[in-house]
Amino acid sequence: MVARSDSSGPDAVIRVTGLTKSYGDFVALDGIDLEVQRGEVLALLGPNGAGKTTAVEILEGYRTRDAGEVSVLGHDPARRERALRSRVGIVLQECAVDPYLTVTEALTQRAGLYDHPRGVDEVVGLVGLGAKAGSRVKTLSGGQQRRLDLGLALVGDPELIFLDEPTTGFDPSARREAWEVVHDLCAEGRTVILTTHYMDEAQALADTVVVLAGGRVVATGPPDTLGGRDQGMSTVRFVPPDGVGLADLPLPAGVEARVRAGFVEFAVAEPTAALHALTRWALERGEGLSGLAVERPSLEDVYLALTGEPEAPGTDGEEEGS
Amino acid sequence: MNDARVAIAQVGYEQKAYWRNPMAAIFTFAFPIIFLLVVGGSAGPSRVPGYTLRYSQYIVVAMLTFGLIAACYTNLAMVICTRRESGVLKRMRGTPIAIGSYIAGLIGSVLIVVAVLTVLVVALGLAFYDLHFPYHPFAVVLTLVVGIITFCSLGLAVTVLVPNADAAPAIINGLYFPVVFISGVFYPLAQDSVLARIADWFPIFHMIRALVSAFEGGPGSGLRVGDLVVMVAWAVGALVFTARRFRWEARRPKA
Repeated sequence: MVARSDSSGPDAVIRVTGLTKSYGDFVALDGIDLEVQRGEVLALLGPNGAGKTTAVEILEGYRTRDAGEVSVLGHDPARRERALRSRVGIVLQECAVDPYLTVTEALTQRAGLYDHPRGVDEVVGLVGLGAKAGSRVKTLSGGQQRRLDLGLALVGDPELIFLDEPTTGFDPSARREAWEVVHDLCAEGRTVILTTHYMDEAQALADTVVVLAGGRVVATGPPDTLGGRDQGMSTVRFVPPDGVGLADLPLPAGVEARVRAGFVEFAVAEPTAALHALTRWALERGEGLSGLAVERPSLEDVYLALTGEPEAPGTDGEEEGS
Repeated sequence: MNDARVAIAQVGYEQKAYWRNPMAAIFTFAFPIIFLLVVGGSAGPSRVPGYTLRYSQYIVVAMLTFGLIAACYTNLAMVICTRRESGVLKRMRGTPIAIGSYIAGLIGSVLIVVAVLTVLVVALGLAFYDLHFPYHPFAVVLTLVVGIITFCSLGLAVTVLVPNADAAPAIINGLYFPVVFISGVFYPLAQDSVLARIADWFPIFHMIRALVSAFEGGPGSGLRVGDLVVMVAWAVGALVFTARRFRWEARRPKA
């Protein structure tokens, strides 16, 4: 759980307070606090330029900070100590693998850099490249190279794994498989920091979502309750029976119903009573309410409201303003 | 992990990557050997002014230099720029590898390539152009080692000037080709000519003169210390520049 520093747990893998970073006049991070516990999956969401990659790359040790306290596995990542590098696995946005080595060679090379690596064959299986183990990297598809990239990050048996937009360009089944891998990593007690533009990915994987906008944390919490999502209004939607107008329907008092594309639609805080009245009315008439649905605000609705910026899922792969 | 063991393993991976990329071998092996066979084979028996070597024998030494530069400077710089662009360097920097082990792997691989090249080119010279086995083998080896150090250093340094992989061939070759043309790689320079005086400022001319001297018979050790000093000066300058300015990530326009 991300918590304020006054309630920080003893098992925090990452502690960040007041993290600040500017590039010239551009303030990329404007005082960020984070805490990540062992075994947790934390997803960083935010529009391009919100500071996600800057934050992650400071934690990875690639960038220096202007101000603030940062502790990763008890180390200051800015010092780039080998002891820290050997406990961390990194997947960057760029797919970074040497094109002329085979899958097995690339993993064996990487494994040789660590004191206690995982078995190469085990990792090949873990990322689903068993059929391609002897193929040169340049003959792999983009998605396969990305999976190898993930394998390279895992072969050192890291405690903490950074995944910067890891499933961009994956087909839906490959994404599900990658999610399984991440689930398994957490089950083994590893900690994962993930950035993503896919709301379903955050929903499926994250224990905690942190939304960044303009270099600040605008919301923090589990995906199901983020930004008061669990307390938001539900929308009830259905097609009324033929010849029935809005005025004939037994709608709760005070709701504003409207008709859109043949559907009656209204928002209500507590839908149980409204549904009961509606369905009883329909059953007594001997008719059904076709297309009846109750929808809660999606993570994407909450995200868009928080960041104040319409952003379709899938606008990915762009560099942040850094 | 033992840094030396990692470095040795890296040499193996670099060798695999080198021989599997046909582009790298073209300038290092194909061009010098074809030039040697065609131009050297059509040369007459006259000697190169100022040297005891015949023109065809001089071309053997010049092409050895050309291939060495292709392997040390051009190829090393291209490999680093390509890996910097794709993020491989950045990823490597996030692993526990010591930077020294990584660089040692690259340089070790270059050493093997230059050794193969030297054996091939000298063997052709011995077989076809009556090149004498070097009278001063120690001077040959020392000159080659200084050449490898110099041109590897320049290869590292030039990556600082390359913003991204698209610009790499133009910058890397654009700096190198003019110097190659004026340094007597394809034809010997007349002593004290204008070109020779310009080329005197750059390391390629000195590399060829030192190597020719080591192959020629003559009194003394065959070592041309003055030429080697010029090369070492270039190497030191290049290494200082590299140490201060080397970049692990490509420079890209801001989004």
